Amino acid sequence: MISALDNLLQNRTGPMTSELVLHPGDFGLGKVPARLNPFATTNMVCGFCSTGCSLKVHIDQHGQAINLTPDPSYPVNLGMACPKGWEALTPLAAPDRATTPLLRNAAGVLEPVDWSVALSALVKNFKLIQKRNGPHSISFLSTGQIVTEEMALLGALAKFGMGMLHVDSNTRQCMATSHVAYKQSFGFDAPPFTYSDFEESDALIFIGANPCIAHPIMWQRVMMNKRNPEIVVIDPRRTETAMVSTLHLPLRPKSDLILLYGVAHLLIERGAVKREFIDAHTHGFTEFAEFVQRFTPEFVSAETDIPIATLTRLVDIIVSRERVSFWWTMGVNQGHESTRTAQAIINLALMTGNIGLPGTGANSITGQCNAMGSRLFGNATSLLGGYDFANSAHRAHVAATLGIDSSLIPDQPSLAYDQILDGIDCGEIRGLWIIATNTAHSWINQGGFSELRKKLDFLVVQDMYATTETARMADLVLPAAGWGEKEGTFINSERRFGLVKKVARAPGQALSDFAIFKLVAEAWGCGETFRAWLTPEAAFQILKTLSRNQPCDFSGIRDYAHIDNAGGIQWPFTERDAADNESSQQRRLFTEGRFFTPDEKARFYFDEPRAMPELPDKQFPFLLMTGRGSSAQWHTGSRTNKSAVLRKLAPRELHVEINPDDASRLGITDGEHVQIRSPRGRAAALALVTAIVRPGQLFMPMHFETVNILTYPAFDPHSRQPSYKACAVTIEKISSSARRLKNQSH
Amino acid sequence: MINGAITPEKARSPEAATSTPHNHVSHAESSSTRTLIDELLEEQQRLQTPVARFSNVHNRGATPSLEPIYRDLIPLTAPSPGEQYAFEVDLDACSGCKACVAGCHSLNGLDDEETWRDVGLIHGGTRSHPFQQTVTTACHHCADPACLNGCPVLAYEKDPINGIVRHLDDQCIGCQYCILKCPYDVPKYNERLGIVRKCDMCHSRLGAGEAPACVQACPTHAIKIVTVTTHVNGVLSADTSAFLPTAPSPHYTLPTTRYVTKRALPDNVMAVDAEVLRLQPAHWPLVIMLTFMPMAVACLFLAVVVPGHVAELTGIGWFAAAIGLASSFFHLGQPFRAWRIFLGLRKSWLSREAVVFGGWFALVSILAATHFPLTAGLIPPLPKFFSLTVAAIGLLGLFCSVMIYVDTRREFWRFAQTAPRFFGAAGVLGLGVLFALAPNSSSAVAIILVVLCKLAIETRVLRSLDDDDDKPTEARQTALLLTGLLRLKLTARYFLALIGAGLVPLLVTLHYVPAASAWAGLTLALGGELIERYTYFRAVAVRKMPGFVSS
Repeated sequence: MISALDNLLQNRTGPMTSELVLHPGDFGLGKVPARLNPFATTNMVCGFCSTGCSLKVHIDQHGQAINLTPDPSYPVNLGMACPKGWEALTPLAAPDRATTPLLRNAAGVLEPVDWSVALSALVKNFKLIQKRNGPHSISFLSTGQIVTEEMALLGALAKFGMGMLHVDSNTRQCMATSHVAYKQSFGFDAPPFTYSDFEESDALIFIGANPCIAHPIMWQRVMMNKRNPEIVVIDPRRTETAMVSTLHLPLRPKSDLILLYGVAHLLIERGAVKREFIDAHTHGFTEFAEFVQRFTPEFVSAETDIPIATLTRLVDIIVSRERVSFWWTMGVNQGHESTRTAQAIINLALMTGNIGLPGTGANSITGQCNAMGSRLFGNATSLLGGYDFANSAHRAHVAATLGIDSSLIPDQPSLAYDQILDGIDCGEIRGLWIIATNTAHSWINQGGFSELRKKLDFLVVQDMYATTETARMADLVLPAAGWGEKEGTFINSERRFGLVKKVARAPGQALSDFAIFKLVAEAWGCGETFRAWLTPEAAFQILKTLSRNQPCDFSGIRDYAHIDNAGGIQWPFTERDAADNESSQQRRLFTEGRFFTPDEKARFYFDEPRAMPELPDKQFPFLLMTGRGSSAQWHTGSRTNKSAVLRKLAPRELHVEINPDDASRLGITDGEHVQIRSPRGRAAALALVTAIVRPGQLFMPMHFETVNILTYPAFDPHSRQPSYKACAVTIEKISSSARRLKNQSH
Repeated sequence: MINGAITPEKARSPEAATSTPHNHVSHAESSSTRTLIDELLEEQQRLQTPVARFSNVHNRGATPSLEPIYRDLIPLTAPSPGEQYAFEVDLDACSGCKACVAGCHSLNGLDDEETWRDVGLIHGGTRSHPFQQTVTTACHHCADPACLNGCPVLAYEKDPINGIVRHLDDQCIGCQYCILKCPYDVPKYNERLGIVRKCDMCHSRLGAGEAPACVQACPTHAIKIVTVTTHVNGVLSADTSAFLPTAPSPHYTLPTTRYVTKRALPDNVMAVDAEVLRLQPAHWPLVIMLTFMPMAVACLFLAVVVPGHVAELTGIGWFAAAIGLASSFFHLGQPFRAWRIFLGLRKSWLSREAVVFGGWFALVSILAATHFPLTAGLIPPLPKFFSLTVAAIGLLGLFCSVMIYVDTRREFWRFAQTAPRFFGAAGVLGLGVLFALAPNSSSAVAIILVVLCKLAIETRVLRSLDDDDDKPTEARQTALLLTGLLRLKLTARYFLALIGAGLVPLLVTLHYVPAASAWAGLTLALGGELIERYTYFRAVAVRKMPGFVSS
């Protein structure tokens, strides 16, 4: 009686309380929301960054994903994920998914059409362009975000079926430098490390990398390091990672090449080089040693703004700690002399013998989830499987494996991303197919791309969303299934194959990129050539065969189930490895000092440093850097902006970091609206007054549409990777009346 | 057209083979009727069935796989008397990845837009040693929770054993007073349900020996659950020295979260959004209620103290009270649960206001009935002290209204501002009614004096703009909002008050305009008071944990 009254007065149960009730979830999950109780779970790798975390997807009795948690059994992420991983299913359910092909009609409006109309439009227009301007007048720009099998089918279809020559992908924007640097120095594009190196290192030297924000799950491994490591961060900004470093070198932007040569100089001067290793396993050290002679501490200090004592401290760390590992990412890769900068890092690892051993290495942290797949199987710079287009034996081998005529394989190199755009500008390329990338937002000096669009006779955009900046410019939009709606493999930073599974239905008429490529092949009339590419898994078997005896040999991987059961498999995984029952989950390269060059010796590459192409001047006195601003945003936000949680965790408005000295000189206050202007355009942003950036420098996160209006199109000559982090700008207050207007519009 | 020369991938699972008609008919129909497009579209929609593909991989293990990882991050035993559970955040380990927020969202099955944990950024330091640090925040499960103390229906409970502050979702009436009370912006209003929800430290997980979602989700183990002391010898005494320096003062509610670091935080550390001006919700039903209730209270008061016009004043007062009280129901997300509002009488000013005004309205209705021709005969004559009591209870109700806002400890809503605003509105509008009923010079003088005093007091909040020190204090933020984003409204507020309660009574008294203009003046003054109440809600500076610039 009393309890009934009590209940009436104070309702402790009821429908709203039930909504949040947790229930034991089985499958090792612990408690989960009762209304999302899984019928089963399945593991698959995440589709955002290259860390390659495995996510345990909770599925209902129909096989449909209802929730996910990070996979505790996977050697990469050990049960953790960043916010993007946790929210990976949300972008699939976005209301603005492309659900049908869209074709621009006579009125200039994108209008829904069925697949047969879309395919014939693609074929008719591209063939017409080729007829008028030659076969090389159509190109594609692809991505590091689709599965390897799709990349390979696209590359093969475009070059061996449709007669394209110039094709590239957005991995040019993130990983081309590492690709070229490794290829030249090691003889193959082969990041040597495994993630346990984070834990086993005595000194981790991060150059142009902010893993706390950009690769939080790799940072997790750094935090698991029990060796009391030195953490050195070489970065102009005092980033989140720099905050927790034991030594931060806030060098002048783009002076890293000089700094690294200066470190080499000091190491040689101290006699702290591993002569034995150098003699046995490298080539060109003498010339390198001679070259760095002039990089004296005085010179380097003057050029980099780093005191000599700090340089000495860095060298002390490298000399005194047993296992030194070097890690770099976009701060290095996106530069006007980035390939040599990456190789200057490789040189340090080689000369100190810090390679092939636990906790060592010259290690490039990759960007996109499948940049590594693109590097091996994109068929753009290298022939499928890391072969060489110029090598006739390679062409014959690939042709034989694919069962095609070797004359179908071009013997000329492809133009790079920027050169393809130049080709459009000068009228040589008139048809473009963009797949799963957002060029109109992400390309450097993006104002230029909108102009280029007008010069294209036909632009096809294949994407999950018809709403990206690029898709809105298209003549034809092809609706694609996304991650989680199809099968295939990704290759992560540490060369690990991971599986993507179909756990959700694509909306409307959206198709997997693999299916779209098959349809295009049939419509183009070259379907016969690709009959063997029946399914993604069949394609995987083809790629496996292609890899045999290459450094990336993974012919020992049986099938998808093998990858699934093993917790991912790192290449190389040869048939011999399979026969030996190799089951180690942490495998690094070069353990015996044998590199992939013909003489098995690594090479020292170096060049004279050059000033950055656009230096600040009187009119544009600030140097603008761009980069990742938050762990909740992925690149142009076409997926992460679809999640309310991720939107909440990211800045809503573009901001610009400015040093307090500069801010007070210009009368700019925290939170004020300012305008940033470069010779190419302007962008409005909120000022964030912080000493994180040094005087004379500004920083803006790259995830906002207007940032790349400002950036200057400079490229590394070897990798053709754009230098996003260096352009001259000016910053000014927006007049108060304009500001008031802007405020009122909120 | 493309012909289906390619056979579709053979379905791998037995269920798919039996459940999709496609597999029965495709071979018969074959390429003549089916195109490759159809095949691929159909294949695209086919999911692997869990039974066929996954169940042999994952056993139905009930032991959480992460248990070995979080074992050391939760207490082994329940708290002793005088202790409770608390979050402990290791600032040195927090890298700023924000997985705690997303993990909490997914593992608790929250709505799309709903998050119970928030992250922010604090910064400071010197030019040579700049400092930045991400800060993660959920409910602080305070030792003396303001949300609980303010709740009019006892929809909050503090667990007697572990001290977790829990919200009873089926008890909540959606009045959102807890949102106003909490200095850390923790309770979140859920539009879909019309109630507030908040972090419960995953009490059911802790009860089963599992770690809360955020603890499970943190890649660097920066969040753990610890036991802290809240009472010494039975007296409330929580150690708040480990609370975050830039956060709102812990002395009000005694938050239990500990933020630990081995580094010394710089003296000048502050939230990156400390200077960001945020307009608060207008709460229109409350704006209307808190304008009409003072008017009603004043009418019933004047009916007693001013001879003549008793019937008119009582009638208008009743009508104003009806509008005010009706409006207040529109503020509630769950109005049908509001009958429990007396439960919080012991601690909650909102509960007291509701009870006082509820009872008062009944008395006012009786009083009004005696003046209404149709009902007058039904009610025996009421003694004089009845009207006096009604007048007094009305003033008491208005005092409760004032205290509701004073009790939030928000700077703008302090007693010195709130009381003059609420009672001043009563004065302006009550005298306005009286003047309209009987324009005379003494009530004109009274109304003009009251409105000028009220405006003078209101203007005092702008004084902080003259301070040389431009620290982002609450007072300064309010002043900046009033003179910035709310400038037009503020101007309109002064304009309407001066015309409606100043110029019009003056002109009527001087017979420059007809006496009936007094009603127009009253309407203008009412508009002015509504705008004043609107700015009262919108310009209040709200204390909160650090956020991000522009978010």
